Amino acid sequence: MAALPTQPAAAQESAPPSGAGGAPPPPRRGVLRALGRDPGAVLSAAYILLVVAMAVFAPLIVRMSGWGPYEFDQTAVNPDLGGVPFGGWGGAGGEHWFGVEPGSGRDIFARIVYGARVSMLIALAATALTTLLGVVFGLLAGFFGGKVDWVISRVMDFLMAFPALIFMIAILSALPAGNRAVLLVVVISLFGWPYLARIVRGQTMSLARREFVEAARASGAGRATIVFREILPNLRSTIIVMTTLAVPGYIGTEAGLSFLGVGVVPPTPSWGQMIASSVSWYSVVPTYFAIPGAFLFLLVLSFTVLGDRLRAVLDPQGVR
Amino acid sequence: MKSPVLIRAAVAAATAALALSACSGGGAAGNGGNDAGGGAFTDTPERGGTVTMLQNADFSYLDPARGFDGGVNNFYRLVYRTLTTPAPGNSDDPSEIVPDLATDLGTPSEDGLSWTFTLKEGVRFEDGTPITSADVKFGVSRSWDPEIGIGSPYARQVIDAPEGYEGPYRSGPLDTIETPDARTIVFHLKEPFPEFGSVVSQNSFVPFPEGSGAGDAFINDIIASGPYTLDSYSPGSSIKLVRNDEWDPETDDVREAYPDAWEFVIGLDVATIDERMLAGQGADANAIALTIQPATLARIQTPQLQERKLELPGVCTTYMGLNTTKEPFDDVRVRQAVNLAVDRAAVQNASGGTQLADIATTILPPAVGGYREYDLYPSEEHQGDVEAARALLEEAGLPDGFDMTLDIRSQPKMQAQAEAVQQALDRVGIDVELNVIDTSTYYETIGTPALQHDAAITGWCPDWASSASTFLPPLFDGRNITDQGNSNLAQINDEGINARIDEIRAMTDLEAANEQWGLLDEEIMELAPVVPLAFESTITLPGENVTGLYSSPGAASGGIDLVLVGLRDPERG
Amino acid sequence: MARFLIARLSGVVLILLLVCLFTFGVFFVLSPDPAVQICGKNCTPELIERIRTNLGLDEPLLAQFFSFLGGLFAGRTYGVGESATHCAAPCLGYSFQSSQPVWDMIMDRLPVTATLAVGAAVLWLLAGVAGGLLGALREGTWWDRGAMVVALSGISVPNYVFALVLQYVLVVELEWLPFPGTVTFAEDPGGWFQNYLMPWIVLAFAYASVYARLTRANVIDTLSENYVRTARAKGLPRHQVIRRHALRPALTPIATVFGMDFAGLLGGALITETVFGLNGVGKMTADSISRNDQPVIMGVTLLAAFFVVVGNVVIDLLYTALDPRVRVNSA
Repeated sequence: MAALPTQPAAAQESAPPSGAGGAPPPPRRGVLRALGRDPGAVLSAAYILLVVAMAVFAPLIVRMSGWGPYEFDQTAVNPDLGGVPFGGWGGAGGEHWFGVEPGSGRDIFARIVYGARVSMLIALAATALTTLLGVVFGLLAGFFGGKVDWVISRVMDFLMAFPALIFMIAILSALPAGNRAVLLVVVISLFGWPYLARIVRGQTMSLARREFVEAARASGAGRATIVFREILPNLRSTIIVMTTLAVPGYIGTEAGLSFLGVGVVPPTPSWGQMIASSVSWYSVVPTYFAIPGAFLFLLVLSFTVLGDRLRAVLDPQGVR
Repeated sequence: MKSPVLIRAAVAAATAALALSACSGGGAAGNGGNDAGGGAFTDTPERGGTVTMLQNADFSYLDPARGFDGGVNNFYRLVYRTLTTPAPGNSDDPSEIVPDLATDLGTPSEDGLSWTFTLKEGVRFEDGTPITSADVKFGVSRSWDPEIGIGSPYARQVIDAPEGYEGPYRSGPLDTIETPDARTIVFHLKEPFPEFGSVVSQNSFVPFPEGSGAGDAFINDIIASGPYTLDSYSPGSSIKLVRNDEWDPETDDVREAYPDAWEFVIGLDVATIDERMLAGQGADANAIALTIQPATLARIQTPQLQERKLELPGVCTTYMGLNTTKEPFDDVRVRQAVNLAVDRAAVQNASGGTQLADIATTILPPAVGGYREYDLYPSEEHQGDVEAARALLEEAGLPDGFDMTLDIRSQPKMQAQAEAVQQALDRVGIDVELNVIDTSTYYETIGTPALQHDAAITGWCPDWASSASTFLPPLFDGRNITDQGNSNLAQINDEGINARIDEIRAMTDLEAANEQWGLLDEEIMELAPVVPLAFESTITLPGENVTGLYSSPGAASGGIDLVLVGLRDPERG
Repeated sequence: MARFLIARLSGVVLILLLVCLFTFGVFFVLSPDPAVQICGKNCTPELIERIRTNLGLDEPLLAQFFSFLGGLFAGRTYGVGESATHCAAPCLGYSFQSSQPVWDMIMDRLPVTATLAVGAAVLWLLAGVAGGLLGALREGTWWDRGAMVVALSGISVPNYVFALVLQYVLVVELEWLPFPGTVTFAEDPGGWFQNYLMPWIVLAFAYASVYARLTRANVIDTLSENYVRTARAKGLPRHQVIRRHALRPALTPIATVFGMDFAGLLGGALITETVFGLNGVGKMTADSISRNDQPVIMGVTLLAAFFVVVGNVVIDLLYTALDPRVRVNSA
């Protein structure tokens, strides 16, 4: 997990939030206000919004900065010294804001901006898919119990016993390059959902025995109604917290897989792949790894902090 | 000049071209090279000590019937001998083939169909038994074994063998090779092959005692005929060699064998190797390594490191094959347009810049016999002639360009090269999709026409550098296109080219043949089945106690010729 | 207890079998034909066919799976006749690319990985628990905040980025440490320690951070539990309360997580070893992946799964021994 969190790091340490079962979730406005008073949460949210904006408006931003993510600038690198960028700080300056990639002279700023697209897209898609699978299977197992529970629980045991990272790399390297982004999402989600499902299952089990569920059942409500009207709303805060805490893990996993060369296909920029190609240059052009490294670190940090604070607000009795 | 000492190529034009490419190299050229250091790399070593070689990848196989690549060929020369072998790197013409176990380069019969070689006296295996013609025969017959003979294909291609022969372990002795006495061996060929004297320099001609080497016997062990033998081998991490006392230097004009022992340290990260070579501390003063990373170039600008910098010219061509069976590459104008549009300067930078790669406009590299300089698709600074390319595309009815898929290997440098090609072709509307293929299956995939896409980037090195006969025919003879293991990536089958290949191959005068190969190179490029991109060279920082460093185009694919390496002071380190 | 053990162990065997089958099936479908890889550059269709027959690659999936399982317990022989190769039990497969049984390859490199793993585990346990205790016992102070900020960074920084930063600072800028090389303990203990120091720190950092947060939360939790309050009310000194009553239950979950993490360490080792060029199982796996050496990848996957599954059982057993609350329940 240290390397490539396949399960959200913080999720592992969190016992199921104990508040989720009883009290109705706090009103949304209250949550936002509470978070707004927390400087850490505000800064994190601001940075996440910045990255999202970068991803969404990438073409516009790049038009402003003047260089596309794929454009070679041979005049910015020194062909006689192995393609090292001219000038200090990796060739940073008015022309190339963050400098250029050694060898090709591609603009690092543009590649960071476009790399944000890849990172966010894959992480968010994987989170969505994981959440869907985790909630559905967790609910099924928790609500129906018996054989359904047994089968789902064994599948979860099986997936969690798997050396996920090694297996993900192996699968991705063996598969044809085709659409790596989709593959990444599928593979990450496949090994990610049990961690959410396990918690959803536990809470569903305890909720299903609660009085208000019994009452609904007694009043003749159908299974679907009970699940969607009574149980799911009570799981909301758990799902929100778990999901926020899962995103940084997936961002890290995508970057890590790209770092190991089994992520997105070149020349598509991705932060992990940028860091990978900077490894051999780290002592000559430190900015080449420092810039994508810092962007990646801050994004993961922001999601972690935000998730932490969300949990504190949504679940005051839970683990601090 | 880049490294004039190392390249005294047969053809004078080669040197001229090197001078030209060195000019484009700018200020960096002239600092390194062999003369600059006052012969620092070419001092005569002392006998004794251990030379270490740091490398990333393990050798393919210890068994010479199996291994077949530049790295392992070089290693084999330390432990094995063949009838002939490439001349040592310090000879006047290191591209030429010289006798090794044999007394000469062989005598063909009148009709050119049988070749007779005589073994030297006093040549022995490591256990002291004399090497006989029967051992040579047995060794070469191993290359017909379907599971063992996966290395050099030339013996099978050229020597006549009974239908269905499958090597000595399955089919018994190969009767088409005669051994009238212990020192004479006669080969019968399928058809005349004037360069057969070079064929017997291939690894597959290493002698072995009859009956040895079945199955996996030579996977972890060897039977040495050269100056060293295996001391220990742990796959993927180290190989240690010690002297083979039965090797008689009197019988060997090629190998100097200065050090008492060799140690190959394998599995090191390329960056780690560079760091250790830069530092050159302790035992690493006795170490050599393959080429440095482009990033390291910027760090060797100090005078001390510049003095240790050794530049070796490349003998391989990095090129992009255009699949002529697929639209629109069946149209010669489109192929020419791609040749015009490619930005070779960008590819050069992607390969490590001017110090690590020269721009290729010909198929043959300068170090291979037959090289002749020309540039059919010129452009300013080699950055591509977009206008001319557009005009040709328009003529071909593709004014807006087209989409194509380029097969590449999942290896950073090759991806960088492919991205440079992609970016350059984008300028004329050609949209290139990169198909990244795993390293282990890359050559199998692109060598299978059914799996090949529109184009592929790959490289080719000569199997012997004295002529272009292992360069142009494998790549452009249309009659050799096979369903698997195909090397004619362009799948070009042009009667004109085929006829010229036959004509030149039949020439018995090597020099005249080489002149014709050079002309054929240009004739092929008029049809533009491939896009020559770069000749990648080597820069390395040998430890300061190491000397006797020469390049061998034939034995080492341009790398350091191991058989001449030794230490200045064997007591050090 | 015995019934619990039997049920648990049969579950383990079942999961391991499933992991085997799943891994085998996936590789069977996905990976390139090993016969083609063995065949090399100058291959012919007949040659491929022969290799396939010799190695039993033309058999159906299940038949191949059972010969693989058989090899695991009794060893097996690849190929027939003169060119046969025996792979002794436990045969995890045979790498045709490096002509070695996978088991031997793993065992060759295990010492490096074990050194890395044990050193890092010691480091992260010490640093994590100490940092967590510091935070919990000084809750709300600057010590607490400082420790938690470091922990948060540790969770967020990808370890390859951290490795590069560390290497840049310690090796390139400050020159405190040499560039990591290959030094064995026997050759030079000091050099060996210096050599492993950065890899240990890198591998340990993220785990230590998680442990610090976990320890802090658990200790704070336990301290507020009734029995601890009672103990304090009885007048026991604070350090005794902490040592006797709070620490043990607070650290039990740590033991659980530690078992899981240690068993699943191969993933982290893969990147750390690759970045620092340590020739361990992780780097071998990365290399095998880039060469697509399928038997090795499969062997390592199975071994890693084995560690995780067995690790889980050991934790369960330890858990009963460690936590007084659980012990009371099961008694």
